[in-house]
Amino acid sequence: MKTTTFLTLLLTTFGTALVSKAKPLSYVGGTMVMQENDETGHTISSDYTFTPTNAFGLYIKQEENGKEIFMLTPEFNTLLKRWNLPDGQGNIFNMTGAGLAHYRGNNQPCLWTAFLADYESRRWFFSYEPRFVWDGNIEKSVWQRTRIGIAPYLANYNDLNTWIMFQVDHHPAKRDHFVATPLIRFFYKTYLFEVGYGSNQHIMVNWTIQF
Amino acid sequence: MKKYLLTIIVIFGLPAAVSADTIKATVNGMVCGFCATGIEKTFKTQTEVRAVNVDLENKLVTIQTKQGQTLDDSKIKKLLGNAGYSVVAVARQK
Repeated sequence: MKTTTFLTLLLTTFGTALVSKAKPLSYVGGTMVMQENDETGHTISSDYTFTPTNAFGLYIKQEENGKEIFMLTPEFNTLLKRWNLPDGQGNIFNMTGAGLAHYRGNNQPCLWTAFLADYESRRWFFSYEPRFVWDGNIEKSVWQRTRIGIAPYLANYNDLNTWIMFQVDHHPAKRDHFVATPLIRFFYKTYLFEVGYGSNQHIMVNWTIQF
Repeated sequence: MKKYLLTIIVIFGLPAAVSADTIKATVNGMVCGFCATGIEKTFKTQTEVRAVNVDLENKLVTIQTKQGQTLDDSKIKKLLGNAGYSVVAVARQK
């Protein structure tokens, strides 16, 4: 069995979704494991936060809905700016990875970087993420993702949090350039689970665990 | 007279000296369970802390210290700052 096939199966087995990161950093000493399976492919990543504004981890992705590129990169996440407000929090993060891309027997160096801007209160959620990917001579692409959400009820720390969300992706390198995905997010303490159904008839399943 | 004063000081002063603090910090930016967990784990690594509770609704972090120990305001602000949050006010009760 090819390594990429094995890893794809592994990723698919552990969930279904790309890392719809709650946030790409936790607290100092904290570790997060995230998985995302959506119309762009299957992603799993893990990061360790070692300063209040920096995390380091590993990012693995099997792309779909276009060239089936496999990517393996270390990942470095930085909090560029945070606004702590009385009823919410706004952030700008950068996530960057550099490593290896594999496509049909061709290994290439790859580099990706993304900026994530978000605002979250206990009632509202908004995020926007542009992502730039360079896979050597395999592909160069730019993605955009935005998401809005509302919590139908206000939950406290020990309660089950529920969010109704709507996500729009624009990725010209994929077969489906625009995909809209209504989804529901459940959040309990440090466990996050999301499930949605995209306009291209793909099921999206994401999860995040922080420990 | 000195003995009398010393007795009063011991009787009324000693319990205060060895009592625990309950510290309530009002914090901006706490919105979710991940925030709460980060704050709890940050404070639980401190030897002075007996218990910590996060109340998202009231934006309060309540810290109970061990008997005879305390955390000063600057340390509380530094710990919460390192966890990614801003302290608005700190109130204490013995």
